[in-house]
Amino acid sequence: MERPIPKAPGFFASALRVFDFSVGEMLWSRRTIFMALVVGAPVVISVVMRLLDALGAPIFRVNGMTMAGPAIFGLMIWVFFLRFTVPVLGVFYGTSLIADEVEDKTITYLFTRPIPKGSVLVGKYLAYLACTFFVVLPSVVIVYLCIVPLRGSLGGSFLDLLKDLAMLTVGLAAYGAVFAFIGARFKRPLLIGLFFIFGWEPTALAFPGYLKNFTVAYYVQAMVPHAMPNDSVMSLIQGIFRETPSLGQSLISLAVILGLFLWAAAVSVERKEYILEQ
Amino acid sequence: MTKKTRYFMGGSAAILVAGLGTGLVAYYGGGFPSLSASRSGPSELSYVPADSAVVAFANVREVMDSQLRQRLKIALPDENGQKEFQEQTGIDIERDIDYVVAAMTTPGADGYREPNGLVVARGRFNTTQLESLVREHGGVVEEYKGKRLVKATDIDGHHSVDMTESGDVTRKAHTIILAFLEPGLVAIGSEQAIKSSIDAQLTAHSITSNNDMMELIADIDAGNNAWAVGRFDVLTQNAHLPSEIASKLPAIKTFSAMTHIDGGINGTLRAETRDDQSAENLRQVFQGLMALGRMQNDPKATALLNSLQLSGSGHTVKLSFSVPSELLDMIPIKKGGEGHLHELPRELHDLRAPEAPKPPTPPVPPTPDR
Repeated sequence: MERPIPKAPGFFASALRVFDFSVGEMLWSRRTIFMALVVGAPVVISVVMRLLDALGAPIFRVNGMTMAGPAIFGLMIWVFFLRFTVPVLGVFYGTSLIADEVEDKTITYLFTRPIPKGSVLVGKYLAYLACTFFVVLPSVVIVYLCIVPLRGSLGGSFLDLLKDLAMLTVGLAAYGAVFAFIGARFKRPLLIGLFFIFGWEPTALAFPGYLKNFTVAYYVQAMVPHAMPNDSVMSLIQGIFRETPSLGQSLISLAVILGLFLWAAAVSVERKEYILEQ
Repeated sequence: MTKKTRYFMGGSAAILVAGLGTGLVAYYGGGFPSLSASRSGPSELSYVPADSAVVAFANVREVMDSQLRQRLKIALPDENGQKEFQEQTGIDIERDIDYVVAAMTTPGADGYREPNGLVVARGRFNTTQLESLVREHGGVVEEYKGKRLVKATDIDGHHSVDMTESGDVTRKAHTIILAFLEPGLVAIGSEQAIKSSIDAQLTAHSITSNNDMMELIADIDAGNNAWAVGRFDVLTQNAHLPSEIASKLPAIKTFSAMTHIDGGINGTLRAETRDDQSAENLRQVFQGLMALGRMQNDPKATALLNSLQLSGSGHTVKLSFSVPSELLDMIPIKKGGEGHLHELPRELHDLRAPEAPKPPTPPVPPTPDR
């Protein structure tokens, strides 16, 4: 008697299956060392600052003024997380979702499964979100607990923490979608990604006009509850020409970016024929 | 998903939940003083509403124990007001009050609320005596969010109407509240100020969450026993000054004043202006005033002016002063005194009690004749 062919799982069931095995693979890869360094640096710095402050070192005095903990926390959110961690993790993980499988020549095993090809990318994207959320967000919370109580109150800055966590979550999701598309569509996606975050975005934000609408940072930075620091010439220029879209506009734009690029990435994976180098 | 991955995610989630839980409890429960150990200012700042325009602090105990105060006490021995206050309230200002924190809150957005004053005092108080004193004057006791409030109004039922030419007008009652916030901590102020203060502490929306004000407070040098910081622009906005006068006022954003009182008085006044030009103008005004003062050829004024030092750069204008005890010696004693303060003991160790009369020498027993 002939066995009936089991029904192929649907798109989301397939995506969840891919997520299940990808999350561990992604979390314990060599990239995790890089992620630990990127995310661990602010934690170590905040612990050291806390210790130095306890020992009475005047580390919070800037131009004769003593900075309060919440102000330093805001500065760290901008400098460490928003301008560096979120886009860099987005580039390194987002571009590697498909590229790693191609490089390791394992994509064939995924594509021969009776699941939609697009669900492979979506599943891996979900694994990227899980990895980054579970590493970046606890790091922010530790920095908050270490820094904010210095001349500030935890309760007073709690709403800012919630906004920061939400903003970083949305930022990681949007950057991840953009770089997932770049990784799925282009050759040398890492180079393109690095050019995007360190070349295109700072330049577009520094000029007046509509160019900044074609960046992710423009919408993510609009949601930051802390004042933008003027710590470099570029940020000073960005501060001069800074326009802040409304919260609703930012959220809608980021949702559009996320949906559009994730869909485009899935379509690219469905249609593109990956040729493995022998 | 492997067990290792599950453990990692569980650990991360635990950190996240613990951090958010701590923040949430702090948000609703009024903060964690132990975690905020190194923050600036006294812990009583948690009772000062976040929208306060002025915050001041005075270490009453240090000021009372200062050499200057001891000398003034000798110069002005008849302080009946202080005695009366002690008899009425049981509070000896010299010993029972450690320090006070005062604040002035800004009017509400509706524009009708008057600025409210609030004084929070830490010390040793006889709560029963204070409560009965207020009750004797028609005060009523009530509770607000677990704190005991003693409420008194400045008018009673028999005098609640003013008679005017146009007819009777109902007088608006001004309520003063004495609140027992914690053991050894009382607050005095208007009803709105006291309730805002209790709310600020309970919801952690106190001045400690106002980063601008906390930066000003953090900048107060350690060792000052009295200080005040505030937002000058808010004060002038709410003063309802005529536009002609308001436009002439210097464009000061914030100010801070700090002083150390002991044998003499040392202090600093610092103002932050809106721009560099305003700061420069303010410096020139001060320099002009100092030059004018020197032209008086008064040795006392000259000595005082010589103790002033004007500095600052950019938006900041800083005026430091140091009034040494020698300069204070020039103040004449008005009540029952003869001469000047310099005739009084200068240091604490000079303040010796008068020598007790020697006991009479016992009679020498007569020596028997041989």
